[in-house]
Amino acid sequence: MSNKSLRNLFIFGSIGCFLIFVVLTFDTMGKIDRRAPQITEEVNLGKKIWHKYDCIGCHTILGNGSYFAPDLTKIVEKKPKEYLKKFLVNPKSVNPKSSMPVLGITADEAEHLISFLEWIAKVDTNGWPPKPILAKASSTSSVEVSAGQKLYNDLNCSACHMINGVGGTIGPDLTHVGSRRTREWILDHFKNPDAYVPGSAMPSYGHLSEKELNDLTDYITSLK
Amino acid sequence: MMVKYESQKIAQHFFTFGVLLFLVQVIVGIIAALQFIWPNFFFLNFNIIRTLHINALVVWLLVGMMGATYYVIPEESDTELWSVPLAKFQFWVTVGTILLVVLGYIWMGINPQANSTRLFGTGILSEGREYIEAPRWADFLIALSAILFLFNNFMTVLKTKKWTGINGTLLAGLTFLVLMYIPGMFYTKSMVKDQFWWWWVVHLWVEGAWEIIAGALLAFMLMKTINAPRYVVERWMYIEVALVLFTGILGTGHHYYWIGTPEYWLWIGGIFSSLEPIPLIVMVWDAFRTTGEYRTVTNKVGLFYAVAHSIFNFVGAGLWGVIHTLPQVNKWTHGTQITTAHGHLAFYGAYVLLVLSMIYVTLPSIRGVKEFSGTRAYQAFWWMTISMIFIVLTITGAGIVQTTLERLVGMEYSAVKMNYNLWFWIFRALFGIGFLIGTAIFVIDFFTLGRTPVEIRYHETASEVT
Repeated sequence: MSNKSLRNLFIFGSIGCFLIFVVLTFDTMGKIDRRAPQITEEVNLGKKIWHKYDCIGCHTILGNGSYFAPDLTKIVEKKPKEYLKKFLVNPKSVNPKSSMPVLGITADEAEHLISFLEWIAKVDTNGWPPKPILAKASSTSSVEVSAGQKLYNDLNCSACHMINGVGGTIGPDLTHVGSRRTREWILDHFKNPDAYVPGSAMPSYGHLSEKELNDLTDYITSLK
Repeated sequence: MMVKYESQKIAQHFFTFGVLLFLVQVIVGIIAALQFIWPNFFFLNFNIIRTLHINALVVWLLVGMMGATYYVIPEESDTELWSVPLAKFQFWVTVGTILLVVLGYIWMGINPQANSTRLFGTGILSEGREYIEAPRWADFLIALSAILFLFNNFMTVLKTKKWTGINGTLLAGLTFLVLMYIPGMFYTKSMVKDQFWWWWVVHLWVEGAWEIIAGALLAFMLMKTINAPRYVVERWMYIEVALVLFTGILGTGHHYYWIGTPEYWLWIGGIFSSLEPIPLIVMVWDAFRTTGEYRTVTNKVGLFYAVAHSIFNFVGAGLWGVIHTLPQVNKWTHGTQITTAHGHLAFYGAYVLLVLSMIYVTLPSIRGVKEFSGTRAYQAFWWMTISMIFIVLTITGAGIVQTTLERLVGMEYSAVKMNYNLWFWIFRALFGIGFLIGTAIFVIDFFTLGRTPVEIRYHETASEVT
């Protein structure tokens, strides 16, 4: 092949590839909105606040961004909304170990940001982030779990609490909580955490049925 | 060694600004590394430091490429640059804009609320979008600078109408680069579309336009440093840049796996991005083959850096990229430190070494020295390269731990970062200091090359120094 024909191959081949890419882009643009809930004005306001504070300078979203702080794609599924509201305004007030600075986010801005994060959590991301494979394996094992333990898993308590080294670090470690607290204390605490631990970031679980509360309390009390 | 045309010396303005920003980039990089250990280490938060680290990188590489272009185009077109005053004006527009943007970032770091004011649809201090944080008003000034730059170079070629493969490919790459800035300049309500267009800019720059520029500059450097014949270097250049775009354009798909885009991107991205290392290995082969065949070395240091660039381009952008490019792997590694490791080695190999080699190839003639001592250049290279290899290995290690504990076991991000990866951060910061030493040696070499009397003592050809 002469240099001239190689040059032509480069020029026309590249233009060809680019045209295919443009066609795929058009097709994708037509499909993106169908893969996510409708964007309300709230969500859009939240996105603008996301840009205003340069959140992507520390966090990732949809896996893209900085790798300095947690990915926020599914954060609303991991942390209760009430917790997030307090956290965004003053991170250390609900998580003393957090290294996120106080940026001056107002309560209103926090609401908008959470709407935006609720929207992003519902985007169809082809299954990303994947469920942790080992956690998934343990939850589908044949070991029978009590009703209370099942609730603990379903309510995603491990997002904040740790038992035997597994779980989050925001809330107290529950490995031996049964030897520290009475059954009554634990039961009533579920209904109104703030009354027992002033300023607690834990949301109330008073909306659970009496049976559910009892099952959960039985399980937590058994942790000694 | 003398420049063929006096106007080629304008390149030095751009190189000087680039080299200073390189130093800034490395210093803030070390601050960022320390913030991984102590988050409150500095008066500016990590987001601002990281923005400065990456923006300094992007800008210094761009101005380095601009300088290289101002050198290459007159020489290839056999004429003086169309307008030196215009090039100087464009230079100062760029410097002014960048300084204003940097001051804005620092102000925002001190007072985050200062970014509440909006202008032309973005915050007045930051757009809040990774890598292209520069606010919209700055985008306009950057676009103006880029258009003036392209115009000046096109007019130069049109003076003699002497289109060579190298100046044609170089200008094609630069035009593509400027055009691909546009998809980053509008607001979309959907974060998915936002990221979709954002990758047009980011991916089509670094794995498209910039690689074309790299291909053209590599061809130029092989001609300059070993007197390789034009038809040989241009032949390989066409093969390389064609393969870059055939694989790279549709390879953008590897960023469209998990951001809310249709599933067919898993196939397109997986297949095409797996092929992306091919042009990079061709570049390595080209560099070695051509060097082996034409052995009249006229600039050893320049050749050394150019060959090193081709090797680390392949290792950093190619190998470190391809390991996590298949969707089956990427599903677990996406958004972890594995990406950071790839980013560091790819930018170092593909573009830092490219601009540094262009500086070593062109600076002796700009300064009018026939020969120069390569001692500092080699010292700088080994300090930087060995440090960078270890920086990348520590971040890769952190990425493997993170992927295992966070993605497979389900541990919390913060627990993994602070408890299990702490040693990696400590070693990364230490190697960062090694990299800074290398950078400092290079900066000293850049400012003294051909200017200090010490240089002359090394060579018998000193009398020819003008």
